[in-house]
Amino acid sequence: MEKLMSQRIQILKEKMLSSPRYASIEQARIITRVYQENESLSVPKKRALSLKKAMEELEIGFEKEELIVGNRTKGVRYGVVFPESGCSWIDKEFETLPTRPQDQFLVKEEDIQEFREKIYPYWKGKTMEDVIKHRGGEDIQAIAKVVKINQKDHAQGHICPDTALWLKLGPQGLMKQAQEKLKTCDESQKEFYECVILVMQGACTFMKRYYDMIMENIHDVEGSYQQSLKTVANNCLNLTKRPPETFHEAVQSLWFLFVLLHMESNASSFSPGRMDQYLYPYYQKDIEAGKISMADALDILECLWLKFNQIVYLRNQNSAKYFAGFPIGFNIAIGGLDENGNDTYNELSLLCLQCQYDLGLPQPNLSVRLNRHSSHELMQKAIEVVSKGSGMPQFFNDEAIIHALIDLGIEKKDALNYAIVGCVELTTHGNNLGWSDAAMFNLNKALELTLNHGKCLLTHEQIGLDLGGLDTYETFDDLENAFQKQIDYFIEKMMQCEIIVEKAHQDCLPTAFLSSVIDDCLEKGLDVTKGGAKYNLSGIQMIQIANLADSLAAMKKLVYDDGVIEAGKLLKALQADFQGYEIIQTMLLNKVPKYGNDVEWVDRLGAKWAEYFRERMKDYTNYRGGPYHTGMYTVSAHVPMGENVGASPDGRNALTPLADGGMSPVYGRDLKGPTAVLKSVSRLNNSLTTNGGLLNMKFLPEFFQTKNGMNKFENFLRAFVDLKIPHIQFNVVRREDLQDAKIHPQLHKSLTIRVAGYTAYFVELAHKLQDEIIERTTYDNI
Amino acid sequence: MTTSKALVFDIKRFAVHDGDGIRTTIFFKGCPLRCIWCQNPEGISTLRKPIYFQNNCIHCRCCEKYAKEGQMIYQNDRPYFNKDYQGDFDNLVNICPSSAIRYDSQYYDVDMLMKEIESDRVFYRDSGGVTFSGGEPLMQGEFLIDILKRCHQQHIHTAIETTLYTSLELIQKALPYLDQIYIDLKIYDEALHQKYVGGSVALIKKHIEYILKSEHWKKVIIRTPLIPQITATIQNLQSISQFLSHINPEVYYELLNYNPLASSKYEYVDFDYGIDLKYKKYTDDEMEVFYQMTYQNGIKNLIKE
Repeated sequence: MEKLMSQRIQILKEKMLSSPRYASIEQARIITRVYQENESLSVPKKRALSLKKAMEELEIGFEKEELIVGNRTKGVRYGVVFPESGCSWIDKEFETLPTRPQDQFLVKEEDIQEFREKIYPYWKGKTMEDVIKHRGGEDIQAIAKVVKINQKDHAQGHICPDTALWLKLGPQGLMKQAQEKLKTCDESQKEFYECVILVMQGACTFMKRYYDMIMENIHDVEGSYQQSLKTVANNCLNLTKRPPETFHEAVQSLWFLFVLLHMESNASSFSPGRMDQYLYPYYQKDIEAGKISMADALDILECLWLKFNQIVYLRNQNSAKYFAGFPIGFNIAIGGLDENGNDTYNELSLLCLQCQYDLGLPQPNLSVRLNRHSSHELMQKAIEVVSKGSGMPQFFNDEAIIHALIDLGIEKKDALNYAIVGCVELTTHGNNLGWSDAAMFNLNKALELTLNHGKCLLTHEQIGLDLGGLDTYETFDDLENAFQKQIDYFIEKMMQCEIIVEKAHQDCLPTAFLSSVIDDCLEKGLDVTKGGAKYNLSGIQMIQIANLADSLAAMKKLVYDDGVIEAGKLLKALQADFQGYEIIQTMLLNKVPKYGNDVEWVDRLGAKWAEYFRERMKDYTNYRGGPYHTGMYTVSAHVPMGENVGASPDGRNALTPLADGGMSPVYGRDLKGPTAVLKSVSRLNNSLTTNGGLLNMKFLPEFFQTKNGMNKFENFLRAFVDLKIPHIQFNVVRREDLQDAKIHPQLHKSLTIRVAGYTAYFVELAHKLQDEIIERTTYDNI
Repeated sequence: MTTSKALVFDIKRFAVHDGDGIRTTIFFKGCPLRCIWCQNPEGISTLRKPIYFQNNCIHCRCCEKYAKEGQMIYQNDRPYFNKDYQGDFDNLVNICPSSAIRYDSQYYDVDMLMKEIESDRVFYRDSGGVTFSGGEPLMQGEFLIDILKRCHQQHIHTAIETTLYTSLELIQKALPYLDQIYIDLKIYDEALHQKYVGGSVALIKKHIEYILKSEHWKKVIIRTPLIPQITATIQNLQSISQFLSHINPEVYYELLNYNPLASSKYEYVDFDYGIDLKYKKYTDDEMEVFYQMTYQNGIKNLIKE
C-alpha cells in the first residue's frame, strides 16, 4: 500500500492542524435570544426555533480547496458552549479552558464577559443539568463512588441515524412527510411534526447559505480550485431542492446531516455507520458512467475525513479526564455481513482504508466488521493500516455480535445490519436510541464496600450496606453472598437515578431534527427522547472485570482455599494501602494466577459476576419502555475510576488505575502473550457486551514488516473471529516514540494513539494518561 | 496411555519465529551438547533446579526463615542454594511471595502437555502448530514420540528444532509424526565442533545424510547460526554448503543471523557465556556475502527471512 493523498488534501490537512482552537458562544447567544423572545412557547418549539435560527445565522466559512463544506462554527475544531443541557461548569471553568490539563481551548475575554452577563444568568436553574440536580442530585451523589450516572449535562448522542433515508429524501422530502402527517395526525402529535417542518426549513436555508457564500467569493479564487468550488456550490444548491444524485452530492449531503445533528444536540458520537454499503450505489453509478475516477472519489472521501476532524466536543474538566482527546465518535463500519448473511465489501470499503492510511487522523473512528468469510484482501489492507500505528481500524466480530443482538430482542435484519457508534458501542442502523454509557457501575468499589462493612476505604464514609467484612465472612461463599447483596442495592439506587435523567432529557432536550432520521419517530409522531425509536435500549457499563476477577481469585485461593493469608489481616492490609503489609501485597500479585492468562477458574470468576449483573438488568425497564443491557468499555475512565477505589485484593494500590479497555487484562499481568489473552476474553459471554466491549492490544511495528508477519497477524485475527470475541483494537507503537513524544510534543504533533475506544493526538493527552499508555503491556518479544 | 513425564523449561505461546503460522513452542530441558553461545543455557542441564531472580526479590528473607537445614544460605541480601542438597526445594518455591525463587522447569505428563498445546489450537491455521525445541528434545525421546503421536492423531502440525545428536533409531521413530524438521549443523570440522559445540559432528552428519536421502527430506531445513569467527567463517560455510548439496542439491538451507541476547540469561545458570558481547547482528550487506558463498557451493534453496 502506498500513500495516494493529493496535494489538495495535504494543504487542507496542514491548514486544519495549524488552526487555533477556540471555545465559541455564538450558538449559545442565538439559543438564548430565541428562548427569551418566545417564552410562551413549549420547549420543543423553542428548541426547534433556536435550531432553525442557528442554521440561518451562524457564521460559516469555506476553504478554496474544499470539496465538502459545512461546519457549525466558522473556525475548525471549536468547542461549542451549549446552554440548554448545562452550563454551570462553563461558568466555573471558562478561564481555565486554555490551561486545563486535558483538551484545552483558547477563550476570548469578551466572550467570557458576555456569557457571564447575558447568557448564564438566563439559564441558571433552567438547564437540564439543573433540573436533574434539583430532582435527584442528592441521590446521584450518594451513589457516585460506585455508580457514575452519565448523560446529566448534555444531549444524547451515540446514535447512528438513518443515513439511507436522509440520502433518499433529503430535508425537502422529510419536510414533505411531516407535512403529510400533519394533515391527519392526533392533536398530541401535531407539535412534533410542526417542529420537524421548522428544522427542515432551516436545514435547506443552511445549505443554500453555502451556495451563496461560495458564489459571492468565487471570483477571488484562481485556477483549478475555482471549478471544483463551483461544483461544491452547486451541490449545496441542489441538495436544498432534491435528494443527492451523484457520489459527490451524496457525501456532501451526508456531511450536512452530521453538522446539523451536532448543531441540534451538541452531543458526542453521531456515527455514519455502514458508509461503504449505503454510499456504494452512488459511487458505482458515477464510476460506471465515467463521471468520476477512483482518485476523484478518494479526494472527496478524504475531504469528508478531514471534516470529521473539524467538529470537536467541549467537555468539562472532569469529563475530559474520562474521555480525553475530544473524541467525537464519527464511527464508520466497513465490511461485514449483508442482509442475506453474506460477507460483503467493495471498492469503497478499500477506499475508506486508504483514507485512514493516507491521513492517520483521530477521526473518523474506522471499524472493520469481520466474520468467518471475510476476504483476505480486505483483511490484509486493514492490517496494513493497523501497522501504521494510528490504532485504526478496530475490528468487530459478526460471529459474536449478531447472535447476541438477536438474543437481546433485535430483529435479525437489524442485527445483521449493526453498526458502531462512538468508540465501540453497538447499535442498529437508523432506528435506535441506545443510550450508551447510561452509567458506569464500578464493581470493584462494590467489592471494596463488601469487604469493609460498607465503608469507603478512602474516606471511611458509610456508603454501602454493612453486610460484614473480610474479618467476619467465614467462607468465600459468605463473601460472594454479601457481594451479591451489595450489587443489588446499588443497582436499585442506580435505576431510580436513571429514570430521573431520562425524564429530564424528555422535558428539556427534545430533538426534532434527530427524530426525523430515526425510525419510527416520524411514523409515530413521537420525539426520540420519548421513545419514538424502534429500539430503546439503555447500556450500563461494568467496571472492571479484570481487577474484579483478580481480586476474587486472590481471596479465594490465598485466603479461603490455601489459608496462607489470614482474612482479617488482609482487611488491615487493604485499609493500610499495604503500608507495612508488603509481603501480603507481593503474594497477592505473584502467588495467584490473573485474568488474561487463559486460566479458566480465574476468568470464570470475573465472568460469573458480569453475568449476574447482566441478569439483574432484566428486572428493569427504562423510561422509554426499553430494556437495559450491559457493556464493557471504559474509554479512559479506568484512570479516574481507579482514583475512587482503595487498595484492592488483586494487589493494586489505592487510587491507581484499573485495567484499561473493558475486557482487557490488567496491564502487565498478561504474561502468557496475546493468544492467552484472547482465550481468557473469549470466556466472557457475548450477552455481556451488547452495548459494546473493548479489548486493547499493542504490537510492535516489527511484526508488520514482513509479508509473513502480516499473514500471521491475519491468522491471529481469524482466530479472534472464531473465538467469538466482539471487539479488538491494536496499537502499534514503540515505547521510545511515546517517551520522546512526551518530551518533545512539537515533534510529534500528528502522532495518534489509541486511548481506549478511540484515537487521539498523543501530545494532547494529559501527562498522567501519557504515562499510563507508555506503561501498557507491549509484546516486545515479537 | 503412558505415564512418563518430561521436564520442560518453558512453553511459549504465540511463537511466530519457530515455523509456519502461529505456534506453541515447547522447550525440553537437557542437551547433550554445549555450544558456547547457547541462547537457552537454562535448558542445558537435565536436572530440575531452583533459580533466583534478583529483580523480583523484595528481600523479605522469608526463604531464610523457612529453609531446611543445608538447603541454602542467605548472604549479600540474597539466597544461595546448596547444589549438593539432596531433597526438593518446594518449601522455598512455595513460600517466596514474589516468586523470585522458582524452579527452572516443570514436569509434564503427556496429558498435561497436550492440554497446553491444545490451548491455542484455534490459532493453528495455515500450518501453525507446535514446535518442540530445547535443549535437545530428542534427549527425552520416548516422551517426545508419545506426544508427537498424540499431536498427529489430533491433526496438529508438528515441528522440531534438533541437533540430531541422538540415536538413529529414535530419529526413525519420530520422523513419521513430524511435519517440519529444523536441524542445526553448526560446525563442519570435527575438532572445532568438539571445541565449540562439545560433541562429535560425525554422528550429526550421518543422521543428516540419512534424512536428506529419505522420503522426509522435503520437511527438512538445515540451519547454521552465524557466530562471528566460529561458525560464520568462509571455510565452515563452504564445507557445510558442499556437504549438503552433495547429499541433496535441493536441500533447504538457512543461515540464522545471530542475536546476542542470551547473555542476560546467564546470571542464573552455572555456565559462562562464551561470546564477546561487542558482536552485533550482521547487516543486510554482510548477510548477502554469506548467501553468495552458499550459492557458489551448490546450495539452491536458501531460506531467507
